[in-house]
Amino acid sequence: MTLHFQPPAPDHVPPERMVDFDFFAVPPGMADPTEIWHDLVRQGVPSIFYTPRNGGHWVLMDYADIVEAYRDHTVFSTYQTPVPPIEPFPVVQPQGVDPPEHNVFRRLLAPLFTPIAVRGMVDELQRRAAGLIDRFAARGQCDFIADFAARYPTGTFLHLFGLPEERLDEFLALASTFFRSTAPAERADNITQIYAVLDALFREKQASPGTDIASTIVLARDANGQPHDWTDILNCGFLLFVAGLDTVTNTLAYIWRYLATTPDARRYFRDRLDDPDAFLRGIEELMRINAVSSLFRRVTHDCEFRGVQLRRNDRVVLPNTIANRDQRVFENPQAIDLDRAVNVHVTFGVGPHRCIGSHLAKREVMVSMQEWLRRIPDFELDPAQPPGAAFGGSVMGFDSLWLRWPPR
Amino acid sequence: MKVVVDLARCQGHARCEDLCPEVFATDAVEGKCVIAQPEFPPELEARVRLAVRNCPEGALRIAKSATGAA
Ligand code: HEM
Ligand code: SF4
Repeated sequence: MTLHFQPPAPDHVPPERMVDFDFFAVPPGMADPTEIWHDLVRQGVPSIFYTPRNGGHWVLMDYADIVEAYRDHTVFSTYQTPVPPIEPFPVVQPQGVDPPEHNVFRRLLAPLFTPIAVRGMVDELQRRAAGLIDRFAARGQCDFIADFAARYPTGTFLHLFGLPEERLDEFLALASTFFRSTAPAERADNITQIYAVLDALFREKQASPGTDIASTIVLARDANGQPHDWTDILNCGFLLFVAGLDTVTNTLAYIWRYLATTPDARRYFRDRLDDPDAFLRGIEELMRINAVSSLFRRVTHDCEFRGVQLRRNDRVVLPNTIANRDQRVFENPQAIDLDRAVNVHVTFGVGPHRCIGSHLAKREVMVSMQEWLRRIPDFELDPAQPPGAAFGGSVMGFDSLWLRWPPR
Repeated sequence: MKVVVDLARCQGHARCEDLCPEVFATDAVEGKCVIAQPEFPPELEARVRLAVRNCPEGALRIAKSATGAA
């Protein structure tokens, strides 16, 4: 057993709002880490509570409050928010900056990820998904995470950034350490390495630009016609690297585990391979139920929120998985209804920081499912392999998913 | 009937476009909602209403059309 020193509760938190909850800790044997959050609902915790763990932070549990926190940057800032706190933390662009300054990099990136832009990426996304699946389809077995879900978004990142395919293993290793390592020295070293790689990349694109996203970012000019600050450029590259890999990987992992254990769902999507509207509606529901990320905010000034006293610099955690199953908003919220008519989930956030990559992410999920189901229409969990170990934190998931199907 | 968007609220989720592309699109610069056909025909009413209810920002609203024919 490790003994953790926990700071005492700040004196503005009333005892009835104190809950001992560590959102990184998943009990052994729990396969679905989102259950640590839903257990809190079953325990009947207050809708706004404070935990002393991970440096101490609030948690909002109502859909309406979570949405309000996403929208109101005057109280809930995205500047310097890590939980547990790391200070100073890179001011990632545009996520770590509040409006109106947020708009500078938001506007720069927005055209690159609109639905129109993403439609132009579909052929490439299809080619990549098909290429990966063809490597193991005949084998009748794979670890879905190592063989597909980790490689696919990372390869897509290389393509979007104009990097050669040969660097996939290098980037997979960087991402894996970034997302899974807990050793402080290794983590610090890893971040230095990622910044060094980005620095070299942006310098190269500055010297010989292409049509890729890295070139667009480095060539962009600010309102005065000047290049953006080099640190901001690096911090924008860093955000794109961390925002679009682990999120997609774990979302895919959750969805494939569900498909592997739910023949009706496989049939639903197989029957709709040529009906994109219905296919997309089903995916929207899978996005609602498989909300892998929880977001952080920092309170800007002492104030009262829904009758609760918040203090400047208090951290706040917004669990999307909880918002998405709020019974005041979703009918029969725990049930997966692929034809759900009204689905205002917040898996991609809402408000000014709404995930800029949401259309790309959904397309990655959709294309993966289409290419997979065309080649591997039926599959199941491999009973000969142990289930993956689950992890909590700001992006939840599990570390392996062995599947099998009749070899060809 | 007529559908209107509040662009100050719209954050470009494109749920409207997914649910009723005959009436909604998104622009190429910010990815925000563009209403291609504000005065939509009655046969699209159910799908426009569905799009309105699915906007996570509450940015869409149905209004009486200028001609008053609703
Ligand atoms: C299923 C996959 C994904 C999920 C669940 C997800 C989730 C989110 C969420 C909840 C936010 C809001 C952050 C906040 O309010 O603080 C966000 C922001 C962001 N995401 Fe994603 N994301 C995903 C995929 C991607 C991809 C593929 C990209 C790559 C282009 C991306 C790039 C971004 C960026 C740049 C932001 C910051 C936007 C801003 O601050 O204006 N995301 N994401
Ligand atoms: S669904 Fe709402 S927020 Fe999204 S594009 Fe349409 S109007 Fe805008």
